[in-house]
Amino acid sequence: MNPPVWMKFRLYIAGDGPNSSQAVANLRAICDEHLPGRHDIEIVDVVCHPRKALDDGVLITPMAVRLAPEPVRRIIGNLSDRQAVLHAFGIGAPS
Amino acid sequence: MQTSAERMATGVDGLDDLIDGGLPHGGITVVLGGAGAGKSVFGMQLLAYGAQKQAERGILVAFEESAERVLAHTATFTWGQGVSPGVEVIDARLSQAVEQGGDFDLVGFLAVIGAKARANDARRIVFDGIDVLLASLRDPMLKRREMYRLRDWVHASSLSAIVTAKADAVEPRATGDYVFLEFMADCVVTLHHRVSQGTALRFIRVAKYRGSAHSANEFPFTISSSGIEVAASAVSEMRYGATTERVSTGVERLDSMLSGGYYRGSSVLITGAPGTAKTSLSSAFAHAAVSRGERTLYISFDESPDQIVRNVASIGIDLQPHVSSGRLVLHSFRGRAENPEAHVARMRALLRAVAPKNLVVDPLSALEQRGCEADAEAAALRVLDFAKSAGITILSTSLLGNALPLSEQTPLNISTIADTWIHVSYVNQAGERNRALSIIKSRGTGHSNQVRELVLSDTGIKLADVYSAGGQVLMGTLRWEKENEARRERSVAEASARLREEKAALALAETNAHLETLSRARVIQEAELAQLRAVAKAEAEHHAYETEEIRHRRRADRPPEGEASARSSGRDP
Repeated sequence: MNPPVWMKFRLYIAGDGPNSSQAVANLRAICDEHLPGRHDIEIVDVVCHPRKALDDGVLITPMAVRLAPEPVRRIIGNLSDRQAVLHAFGIGAPS
Repeated sequence: MQTSAERMATGVDGLDDLIDGGLPHGGITVVLGGAGAGKSVFGMQLLAYGAQKQAERGILVAFEESAERVLAHTATFTWGQGVSPGVEVIDARLSQAVEQGGDFDLVGFLAVIGAKARANDARRIVFDGIDVLLASLRDPMLKRREMYRLRDWVHASSLSAIVTAKADAVEPRATGDYVFLEFMADCVVTLHHRVSQGTALRFIRVAKYRGSAHSANEFPFTISSSGIEVAASAVSEMRYGATTERVSTGVERLDSMLSGGYYRGSSVLITGAPGTAKTSLSSAFAHAAVSRGERTLYISFDESPDQIVRNVASIGIDLQPHVSSGRLVLHSFRGRAENPEAHVARMRALLRAVAPKNLVVDPLSALEQRGCEADAEAAALRVLDFAKSAGITILSTSLLGNALPLSEQTPLNISTIADTWIHVSYVNQAGERNRALSIIKSRGTGHSNQVRELVLSDTGIKLADVYSAGGQVLMGTLRWEKENEARRERSVAEASARLREEKAALALAETNAHLETLSRARVIQEAELAQLRAVAKAEAEHHAYETEEIRHRRRADRPPEGEASARSSGRDP
């Protein structure tokens, strides 16, 4: 049984292509279901902010990064594999 | 050569000549090869060349190694020092720790890289190890789509791109999922690494070059501290300038046999079985050269520098002062078991460092000991080509069987590029072994067809006339004997002639004397005959008188004519 926890995410996307759009939609859906009111999603479009992407070490998009709580975790892809996302971010069953 | 607007010069020695100046400018070249084939070195060398020699900055996107490791590896090459800031390395490794939760594409990737390229004003980009990235795209359709996306991006940008990918080690062709790489690319280069007779050999092949006539042959290459060097076996003789200056062979008689010596800048080949004084002749040449004040590089595969100096000292050639002064550079490759191309790369490095006017390679056939003949031959041609185009006079020796070559076949077929070919053989006669030197060919020079005896003594190398008569060629003591015998025979013949002369004179004298006697006898006989006639006449006259007298006294009448004569035969008492 996981204690309620607040997570901060940063999602790097590239424009409005299918993978990017899906990633946004999927992350929001996962957070709404598993972390209602306990999450924060920041979206960075690397096409507009390539320098930031490089500085952050992000070359492949979409990439979702859990900034908090530590340790930082990452996952690439359009996040359609929900199980993989939950596992990567250590998100338990919906509360 | 095409201008750089159409071709991106790689700076890889020997390669640009093969591909009309370089790889497709603004296009995408796929470089395939197994592990350790040299793909990464190729990419890095190209970027370094661009930054240092073409004022074209570059980016290396590394999918397999960290930026630090890439730069450390690069620094091991001569052109790798100070390669940044002209070349920036971007770490694009997909960490194992990063999970994958769905499909992705290269849109963001290309956006970030593109921004970097623009910020750096880069012209060249290498994606090193793209197969690692593609491996994460499970669906083959996705791999294909993303690679085409990459290609379109390259074409739209002002970049010339190289994409390296690991391919089958045995025959580097893109297989299975990666076949499309070859179709998509403007140019495909394969790097092949195989073991031949115990030696590792490397080959490069331009498998495809859209819009360009190119040779699809394999060419050997080496990787050394100078990076990748390709052996283009097309030897262009047109580049050699013609000269009429002669340099001494080191042996006086040989100089005159060759109308003054070897042509400067030409190549000389000396062949012969082991022990046939090839090293002595090479040393004589080197000695003459340094005595003229010319820097000479002597590369030996068999002996160490000390051994060479010692050995030729025994025939009166003193190399030590020239070694000490640095004018003669002796270098031994002894004991190095490497493939021919590695030897060539080292020889070329030495030539660049020493910058001699003359070069000796003893024996050049040592290149053949490892690897197959064709590779050794190409390597030998490369050495000769390199030296000749630098105007260096090169003398190389080669092991060859003892028989005088009937055809111009040497184990290394380099007699075609050699301008002068001298062969030394052993001649066994009457328990003695002598050395025979013959000039098989000498381009542009008349030379004697005859064989000379090569004599080594502590006063140096000499060439002696051989005894040739009756189709036989004799040397050494047999020659001396034969010469003596000839002398003897001549004096005997002379004596016989004199004797015959005397006899003839005697016979003539005898005949003359005989003639004298006969003529005297004739005189006597004529006289006798005259006397006899005179006596007969006198008697007849006397008888006639007597008869007449008696008649007169007897007052006889004259008988008739017939009776008088019958009676006159008897006298009256």
